[in-house]
Amino acid sequence: MSDKTETMATNETEPVSPPIEEEIARERIYIDGDEAHFERVDITNVDVNLFDGRRFEHLEPRRLFPRTGLERYITLLDDDGNEVAVIRNLASLPAEERRVIEMCLDEYYHVPHITKITGSLEKFGVIKFFCETDRGDCTIEVRNIVHQIKLMYGIRVMFLDNDDNRYEIPDIRKLDRKSMSYLNDYL
Amino acid sequence: MWGQTDTNGKAKYLFMEETHVTNADFMHNRELDEGELLLVESAVPDGERFVFVLSTDLNKKSRYAVNYLAATDTALYSVDEEGESERVPYESIERCYVKRNYGNAVFIIKEANGRSRNFSRFTYTSASIFDAAAQFAETMAEGETGLHDAQAVVEAALERRRSYCPKCGRALSRPGAECIYCQSKHKLVKKVAKYVLPHKYVLLVCLVLSGVTTATAMLPPYMTKTLVDDVLPNGNKPGLNTVVIMLLFAYILQYGIGMIRSYLLRVCGDRIVRDLRSDVYRQAQYLPMRFYDKTSTGSVINRISGDTSTIQAFMLRVTQEVVVQLFTLVGIVVIMMSMNWQLTLLSLIPVPFVVMGSRIFGRKIRPYYRKIWRRWSAVTSILTDSLPGIRIIKSFTNEKEATENFDHYNEEWLKTDIKSARITIAFPQIVSFVITMGSLLIWAVGGRLVIESPDFITAGDLVAFISYTSMFYGPVNFFANFNDSYQSTLAAAERILDIIDAEPENNAGEGKTLEHMDGKIEFKNVSFSFDRSKKALSNVTFTIEPGDVVGIVGTTGSGKSTLINLLMRFYDGYDGEILMDGVDIRQIDMEYYRSQIGYVQQEPMMFHDTIFNNISYGTPNASVEEVMHAADVANAHQFVARMPDAYDTVLGERGTGLSGGERQRLSIARAVLKNPSVLFFDEATASVDSETENLIQTAIERLISGRTTIMIAHRLSTLRRANKIIVVDKGEILEMGTPEELLAKKGKYWRLVEIQTMSDKVAASKAEERFE
Repeated sequence: MSDKTETMATNETEPVSPPIEEEIARERIYIDGDEAHFERVDITNVDVNLFDGRRFEHLEPRRLFPRTGLERYITLLDDDGNEVAVIRNLASLPAEERRVIEMCLDEYYHVPHITKITGSLEKFGVIKFFCETDRGDCTIEVRNIVHQIKLMYGIRVMFLDNDDNRYEIPDIRKLDRKSMSYLNDYL
Repeated sequence: MWGQTDTNGKAKYLFMEETHVTNADFMHNRELDEGELLLVESAVPDGERFVFVLSTDLNKKSRYAVNYLAATDTALYSVDEEGESERVPYESIERCYVKRNYGNAVFIIKEANGRSRNFSRFTYTSASIFDAAAQFAETMAEGETGLHDAQAVVEAALERRRSYCPKCGRALSRPGAECIYCQSKHKLVKKVAKYVLPHKYVLLVCLVLSGVTTATAMLPPYMTKTLVDDVLPNGNKPGLNTVVIMLLFAYILQYGIGMIRSYLLRVCGDRIVRDLRSDVYRQAQYLPMRFYDKTSTGSVINRISGDTSTIQAFMLRVTQEVVVQLFTLVGIVVIMMSMNWQLTLLSLIPVPFVVMGSRIFGRKIRPYYRKIWRRWSAVTSILTDSLPGIRIIKSFTNEKEATENFDHYNEEWLKTDIKSARITIAFPQIVSFVITMGSLLIWAVGGRLVIESPDFITAGDLVAFISYTSMFYGPVNFFANFNDSYQSTLAAAERILDIIDAEPENNAGEGKTLEHMDGKIEFKNVSFSFDRSKKALSNVTFTIEPGDVVGIVGTTGSGKSTLINLLMRFYDGYDGEILMDGVDIRQIDMEYYRSQIGYVQQEPMMFHDTIFNNISYGTPNASVEEVMHAADVANAHQFVARMPDAYDTVLGERGTGLSGGERQRLSIARAVLKNPSVLFFDEATASVDSETENLIQTAIERLISGRTTIMIAHRLSTLRRANKIIVVDKGEILEMGTPEELLAKKGKYWRLVEIQTMSDKVAASKAEERFE
């Protein structure tokens, strides 16, 4: 358990490890709607002040469903990787609070959105896609199309390249015809 | 900043537009061009010596751009694409590490003043080299080792990168070697051709036979011409008999020789495929675990079964059909030209259409084949997933969902297959139609000529001509589609060579054995990651003395089993050193090394064989009494003896027919028989009840006596014989010492003991309640 996990907003300064029984029985803290204030302390971490008086420091927001639920169930982990609280739905947070969490998530998750595929090349068992993304131009190299290119819900395509980097096409219907022709061979 | 004079006066280089440093002056992960050299050099004050410059692929804002992390003998520099730079001298560094995010990683420097800097950002592609850079920076910050020693870690990391092909990322046979996959495709064919060479004489005979059958196949149309022109109009009965008998002999020759040829080819083909399969399977035994982490066993099976057949078929096509078809093509054209060159040219009119059509068809159909293959893979993967787990499906009454899931993917396959059928069915029909149109053209033009100028061309000529024309399109189609089958065979060859030519487990120490393995194990700064997204072990250092019984504890995913995986040499691509009796384990003969180790897993693997053979697996020459003794030591003999077929009991797939505890005791018996110097137990009692655990525990205690033993255990009661405990957390050693020392320390181990004691108490009281 982190020594930063929980400090009450009282004069208590020493972090207190909860008794083991309490740790086992601990219930998950859900944050819904206007229940907390988030302060960004570095690129991927926030301090959380719950309006019931509890304060948690240096927590890292992470998606529990990074592929299937980008806005739902955002876990807040302490420095030891222990979950402290869960935001049920980002959409339920006030705009400012939501923005803080989104900024952290944007820094943590580097999943470029592919906007255009300008070419593809299949050679030596490696397929290269030359792409334009919202984060600049890149080349995606894929060896195993079954495992590394996944079509989800009929419209969303997830890529995992040979180096375990991730890319996404949120909606293939929005791709131009040429991009689609490069992609279509592998879907 | 770029284009401005900075405080260090570096701008002079900008005005001069030439650099003083070159790529040869420092280590790098990628060569810098003149502009980049200028950019990096301008950030570094005079008098500092470059050690390395690493290029990133992201800027700090997480956009694709090349930034630089430069290390000199006194400081680290971060330089962005605009020339903006940050400098952190080593003495102000408290900690330096790479934080892996999702799809990107950040090089973080914690300074002594408490400031934390996100110094560089990059994708996973470059992460490993930056780990080494972080280690370098920390070593420099400690100041205890010289620059030369500190940079060794970066040198080693860069050398490892050279062990992978920059084009395809596959392992190379040695650093800097040519990648077998990225070499020319002709070389690929050459590699596969070596399987054909041993059969060259048989294939040569087949080729001669092919020539004979092809020549005889050309006779019937000519005979037909004789029949139509000479025999039938003149009512020449003896002539008719002669022609029919000649045709009969021609057909007997054609089909008889064809039969012999087909048999020889079949034998030849079977031998080729046998050799290929054997090589692939043999090689598959020696592939490193990393290969199997990334490649499903199903795919390896497919390669051994499907791809080998594809290659065999193609090699026979190349060695036989190409020659035969070429021979046929030339022969027919010559015969047709000699009969009537005008009609021959006329009959060639559809050729360009057929050839072009075949090329277009090949391009159109390929994605469909790929899609069908994907859909079919999805269907088969559901089969291989669900059928072995049928008990689970039934126990959760999930039969309906399982069926629906299967139907869904089966339906997807159907849709794709029907779509492709529209092309695959239509195309041959269209080609046939075009060819028939050609025949119609010949009928129309040739027929008119026969009627108007019977001296110019006879009816027999025309009939023979039509027959030759239809024969002519066989080779045309063959060559039009040859490139496609060449491409698909190359793909199959690549998949096969992926295994055959893959770098097997590194056995650099082949032939080097230890006089006697005492069992002293040392980990020195060992770091390892399975993939690039997360480090499984970070800078692990510990020593185990001979005869020590060491318990490794930690939460799930903490890195316990990874330690065993590295010790077993399932993975060799780690940083740092692991020593056995003072020798780097990578420098010891693999077979000898593993033969000295007994390894008992949580889920013991049993083969579909007798209990006796399962125990003597790995020690095939063991006598009956040795096997029985091993079973005695492992507390297995009693239950084996009670079975109707005792040691002759044939176990089902994966040991079905035995309980988990029984399987475990057999695997311990296997280890006993091996008489190893060192023993590893990976959660050996995790999935058995307390009574069985006691039986196994007694067996283990008999086995470990006098041997260096490492035991991974969730159940701390298993570690009662341990004289040393190593607590692992998040890939790092958290605590190490005797159980008493760690309990007194009241740290993580103490907490684990407390939690387990409490859960044991709860479990015991619940059990008591039930009994009451």
